[in-house]
Amino acid sequence: MRDRMVIAVLVGFGILAVFRLLDWWFRQDHVAHPLLFGALSIAVWYGISRIVLGWVNYVHISRPEHRDAPQGLRVAIFTTSSPGEPLAMFEKTLAACRRVRYPHTTYLLDDTRDPAFRDVAERNGAVWLELVGLPGAKAGKINAALAQTREDFILVLDPDHVPFPEFLDRVLGHFDDERLGFVQVSQAYYNQPRSFAARGAAEQTYGFYGPVQMGLCGLGGSVAIGANCTFRRAALESIGGHGIGLAEDLVTSIRLHGAGWKSTYVPEVLSRGLIPEDLGSFYRQQIKWARGVYEVAFAELPHVFRGLSWRQRLSYLTIGTFYLFGVTTLLYLVFPYLYLWTGLQPASMRFDEFLANATPVGAAGAALYFFCQRWLCDPRTERGTHWRGLVLKIACWPVFFGGTALAIARANVPYIPTAKEAKRGRFLRLAWPQLTLIAIYAVTVAHVLRVRLFVTSEGALELSSQAVWGMVAFATLPVLLSFGVLYAAWEARRVPAGAAWDSIDVDRLGGDT
Amino acid sequence: MRRRHRALISVALLLGCVGGFALLTSLSVGTEGPLAAGLARVGTGVGGIEHRLRERFVGPGRAAELRWFDRYRRDAALLRAPDSVLLGAYDSDLPQSLEGVASLERTLGVSLPIVQAYTAWGDRADEQFPLALASAIWDFGSIPLLTWEPWLTDFDNGRHPELPLREARERHGLASIARGDYDFYVDEWARQAAQFGKPIFVRFGHEMNDPYRYPWGPQNNTKEEFIAAWRHVVDRFRALHATNVVWVWSPHVAYQYWDLYYPGDTYVDWVATGVLNFGPIAQWSKWWTFTEIFGSKYQRLASFKKPVMIAEFGSLAVGGDRANWYEDALAALPAKYPAVRSVVFFHSASDQTLTYQKVDWRLVTDTAAARAVAAAINPWAPGPRLKQ
Repeated sequence: MRDRMVIAVLVGFGILAVFRLLDWWFRQDHVAHPLLFGALSIAVWYGISRIVLGWVNYVHISRPEHRDAPQGLRVAIFTTSSPGEPLAMFEKTLAACRRVRYPHTTYLLDDTRDPAFRDVAERNGAVWLELVGLPGAKAGKINAALAQTREDFILVLDPDHVPFPEFLDRVLGHFDDERLGFVQVSQAYYNQPRSFAARGAAEQTYGFYGPVQMGLCGLGGSVAIGANCTFRRAALESIGGHGIGLAEDLVTSIRLHGAGWKSTYVPEVLSRGLIPEDLGSFYRQQIKWARGVYEVAFAELPHVFRGLSWRQRLSYLTIGTFYLFGVTTLLYLVFPYLYLWTGLQPASMRFDEFLANATPVGAAGAALYFFCQRWLCDPRTERGTHWRGLVLKIACWPVFFGGTALAIARANVPYIPTAKEAKRGRFLRLAWPQLTLIAIYAVTVAHVLRVRLFVTSEGALELSSQAVWGMVAFATLPVLLSFGVLYAAWEARRVPAGAAWDSIDVDRLGGDT
Repeated sequence: MRRRHRALISVALLLGCVGGFALLTSLSVGTEGPLAAGLARVGTGVGGIEHRLRERFVGPGRAAELRWFDRYRRDAALLRAPDSVLLGAYDSDLPQSLEGVASLERTLGVSLPIVQAYTAWGDRADEQFPLALASAIWDFGSIPLLTWEPWLTDFDNGRHPELPLREARERHGLASIARGDYDFYVDEWARQAAQFGKPIFVRFGHEMNDPYRYPWGPQNNTKEEFIAAWRHVVDRFRALHATNVVWVWSPHVAYQYWDLYYPGDTYVDWVATGVLNFGPIAQWSKWWTFTEIFGSKYQRLASFKKPVMIAEFGSLAVGGDRANWYEDALAALPAKYPAVRSVVFFHSASDQTLTYQKVDWRLVTDTAAARAVAAAINPWAPGPRLKQ
């Protein structure tokens, strides 16, 4: 209660600050170039509107109360294997599935045509189902397996996720509500200490699986994303099975909501899995998600839009436009160079006034971000500034931008499962966008210095230095961030020794692992 | 133990806050907050560094050409009684660039050691002491002449609830200044001017006797009120050690009784007036010669025993021979008008004094007139000649 009061006060303050900034921003005498001002305004207000939507979400944070699982439910765990996935990983996952306490049947949905997989399944008491040649990667196998099984509740587990023994006990109680279609739980990882990229990638997910999902839950639309979602069979069957596509889980989630099913979220770490360890794998994961999320926004959302509540619409629109970040970042990058090379600038604003008006918004945002960290799933290990996540997010703009471009071009991106093992990446292949930026920056600074010293007349020099060097400072910020990415790309040249799952002891999983 | 810690921490926090606020307030500049003032200082600093870098790598700039002027720049007493006619200009590229001044110099072949800029009273950032501009003019080798216009309506009642409402401020506004109602602004400007430290000319409340032009004219104020306001402002500056300010009193001599507005010998360093020939373009004007505008008033101007400045000097082109007008005005000027110690060209590309049309006072676009000026000032203008 007290926490919600604090949030309400901070959000109230933040919204006032946003109105103050808005009133100041759109002054007529700030427009230096109408077209560019429009572009800059879109970039800035896209960012701010996302921040505000995040605040609205925070206001609705709710942690659903635990319900004890009734006895006698029929439960299945589905996990899938594909060619090329490391056998040793299944050893751990299936062993952990067997140790899940609530009575259940584990199914391995296999299309590797490798007898060793059958072997590992049967040794760990799992049912082996061979499902070869089905469309839609994971989802195709799940739908085929649904037809061959009878359990009422199905936990879809990514094969890299080792479930804790209490997993099903923490989830199944919620299904006593007949209208509840699925229960999503948090995602956490066991390999994030292994590299900068893994740490950064994990940091990006903390907020989402903590306060964000809890807020979505309070808004009535916690979203199924990635692994660890437990479905009611009737719900899946009512929408013709698990959705297929690059963002299968999101599609499924949206269709279930569209069909009127409710969902809830259990903000507990009940399994740990893998996060991309090297920058290249991270980029591949992100482009897949970007493309998938757009697919949902363009192809899926319009069909079910009418069936959603306005809160769910807002949630899905927010998710569906996340990757526009790539476009706005490009704009931010370009503006200072445009000014330094051509003298064109979008806005004529006083920097001190901008700071005075924007700082309260930033302060409210930061305060809420840190305050809401109390709802992280594992606050002890997850609290912090998450600066690595920020560096990676900004590094990813070419990837996000590419995803946007691909979505507009409606190009196909093959479904690639998130990498299970780090792959060695060539430095230049990963770092070229940042290296290009740094090169452009260096050339620009040299150009500015040359022009200022030898071309600009003495009479014009001193009175223009604030504007010019201010812009150079503005261009410097992303360059500094780029060095974080260069480090990650450098790190990707060598792969951490040993497989990540070697360290897992399936007998000691659970609680606080 | 824990209680004591808590108390200590609370006290430390409180003291920290007070200290922080004190620091922020000390950084702020009157009506400008610490952020704006701090940034302005940083910006001016960067500008200065860039200027010095340029000198280092490209060689000495204009200041080197004006080395002869340094003895004036260093000696405020000499500046109050100069031994030659100091030329200057206002140019409409200001306050963005001094390049217009430089281009006029090259056209005329002489340096213009005085650079004039116009700055209004008010709350806005561009209405505070123009530190960046003054520094740039100084680094450029000149002395700033700031024409300081007491527009009282640019102060916001939200920030200054003690002031009368906007529409009520101009009536007897000068009396209000004299009472000290605007000291919050005057004092800060004075402090900043003192901090700037180098000599500056300040031409405050110019054309105070023109009833048609500015709100500080006689339509709103008595001459006694003007004198009281002037003296109050000068006293504030002196109290705040802004003795680097050279005070320029500048009535409009076309109107009668302008001399009754004189604030007194101890309050005025220079006596100035404008000499602008609008020709027949303005309804109230015709083609007037320099002698008609200035010559007839010279004796009275000189009688104050102060150096005389022609603070806005120029002729338009329509209605007569412009080159001839300048030649007539400037040739033998020191001999005819020995008290005149400064002529400041009014070099505006689009002057809006006449509301119905913009007029162009520039010389750089009029070769004949520029040549006439150059020839007329060549015998007496101080300093070396520039390559044209």
